[in-house]
Amino acid sequence: MNNRIENHPILGELEKRKKVTFQFDGKSYEGYEGDTIAAALLANGIRTLRKHEESGNPRGIYCNIGHCYECRVTVDGETNVRACLTPIKENMVVESGKVQPSPLDPSKENIPRTYAEYMEMEGEK
Amino acid sequence: MKDTIICRCEEVTLGELEELAKKHHSSARELKLLSRAGMGFCGGRTCRQAVDRVLTSITKKDPTDALPLKVAPPVRPMSLVDLGGAAKDE
Amino acid sequence: MQVYDAVIIGAGPAGLAAAIQCRENNLNVVVLDEYPKAGGRLLGQLYQEPDGTWWNGIEESKALETKAEQLDTDIRLGVSVHHIETLDNQFVVHTKKENFTTKNVIIATGAAESPVPVPGWTLPGVMSIGAAQVMTNVHRVKVGEKGIIVGINVLSAAIAQELHLAGIELHSMVLPAKHIISGEQANPRKVIDDLSRVAHLAPSKFIQFGSKFAKYKWAQNLALQFYPKNGIKMWEMPIHLRKAIKQINGTEKVESVTLVDVTADGEIVEHSEEEVQVDFVCIAGGLYPLAELAAVVGCPFQYSEELGGHVPIHNERMETPIPGIYVAGNITGIESAKVAREQGIVAGLSIAKKESDSPDIIEEKLQTAIENVKATRKAATIQFHPNIPEGRANVSAAFSKIIDEQKTETTKEKIS
Repeated sequence: MNNRIENHPILGELEKRKKVTFQFDGKSYEGYEGDTIAAALLANGIRTLRKHEESGNPRGIYCNIGHCYECRVTVDGETNVRACLTPIKENMVVESGKVQPSPLDPSKENIPRTYAEYMEMEGEK
Repeated sequence: MKDTIICRCEEVTLGELEELAKKHHSSARELKLLSRAGMGFCGGRTCRQAVDRVLTSITKKDPTDALPLKVAPPVRPMSLVDLGGAAKDE
Repeated sequence: MQVYDAVIIGAGPAGLAAAIQCRENNLNVVVLDEYPKAGGRLLGQLYQEPDGTWWNGIEESKALETKAEQLDTDIRLGVSVHHIETLDNQFVVHTKKENFTTKNVIIATGAAESPVPVPGWTLPGVMSIGAAQVMTNVHRVKVGEKGIIVGINVLSAAIAQELHLAGIELHSMVLPAKHIISGEQANPRKVIDDLSRVAHLAPSKFIQFGSKFAKYKWAQNLALQFYPKNGIKMWEMPIHLRKAIKQINGTEKVESVTLVDVTADGEIVEHSEEEVQVDFVCIAGGLYPLAELAAVVGCPFQYSEELGGHVPIHNERMETPIPGIYVAGNITGIESAKVAREQGIVAGLSIAKKESDSPDIIEEKLQTAIENVKATRKAATIQFHPNIPEGRANVSAAFSKIIDEQKTETTKEKIS
């Protein structure tokens, strides 16, 4: 897949750059030197960069200039790195943002919020 | 439209914002604390203008020269490690 | 410990131009920017001037960066500033990597985009109009196969043309649906009036589109009443002043949008839904000054609709009421990159004058630079608001008022 704008009537032909190989969620992709993670992934047809930590709703780039943090990913073990600002490097390991467990959210699991609830739930067992 | 997300970070909807603002006659700060809109990763850079409009549509007050909310550092999210904490318990 | 003469936050047209002035006056400066390339949002700009030449943001950025480099300017990219701390007569600019102690700070952080929330706008494939501009012109990556633009204004029109130039297919440009957040942006009458007011500037075909409706209200009303069902075409793309977006559809990413017809006042016409297949959506809600660091350091603000929102109060010399804190570029109000660049020169010279042993010589240059800002504003082909000079005058007046109050306070203290 190639989503690059190779020729442009005003900006001219896309300059030749060095190829860079990196990983995203365990798969290998190619980009070019100077690409941000977000640009290199989009050129490979990948839009979804993370799932919302609680709802799991998919997200991709929104502002593309570092303001909105929607594109945050894990890069070589560092969490919450903005894919739109970070240039790819050879062998870089990028992982998408995942849903986080939220043990204190009573809407998701049956967790007692008060002592009375606790006693009640114990009684049911 | 009520189900439309306004604050993307915390997934706060228009309906939630309107309901909270009306019920509690909220100031900008109170609405933020009650709803968490603007308290997520982007610090409100994306939704602030929209949240302010929701609020002014309810209070019917024009924006004033004072910023609706105090801006406190850091203006970019920091991890505890960045602030000098240890990465692991030792 | 090294103490800088100036830390410049933002390597866009304002920040780079300021840095060049500082370096020409042998000041010790560092420029910080979180983006990996220098140039700020100037990088993505590409439009045709009335004389037919192209304003190429990449080349303009390169020219500024090269000049700064020739003057041995220390430019650090990929560095996010998160705090400005005030000490006695000094400031400490905090970044994740290191802190910079300095006598002066220029805050040139530009603008951010205001959202127009649409049901479904968190789906991958929905992005701000600026995001599409950067992806297209700076990264040269297609944002999708076929898209739609929500929001009809000067910025979205300029970027629509850029997408068209890059060979990216656009279904159309439509209005946001009317709700409390979209406000006047969803009102065809207001939109057509705004377009007609910037029409005389005519930087490109789009603005000429605005001039089709003339400035007379009756002509605008007539145009809206009989607005063609298929829109008015510009670069093979229909512009719909009588259609709005109702929602964005998709599960994992954008699959389609639902459009509705609207009346000349922006009210949704019932049962007019139409589904259009697209794989990307650009949201254009306009720009507002990104002034969070000015707020952190304690600058007073003024609300100015003409300038795009809350701006830190400053004077024509780009000084804020806080000695040592300067502002330049879109943080002071939404205008073209050319104005930002001239403001940067003013800010740089103001600091050079403050730190100089022979301020009189610099004062002369400073006066010329201030005049250049005004001349550039007057000649600007892209104007975001018709009443910018009024907004500017109000902010300057607010600055004078604060300084007068400070003087009165000092006099009172002396007397007591």
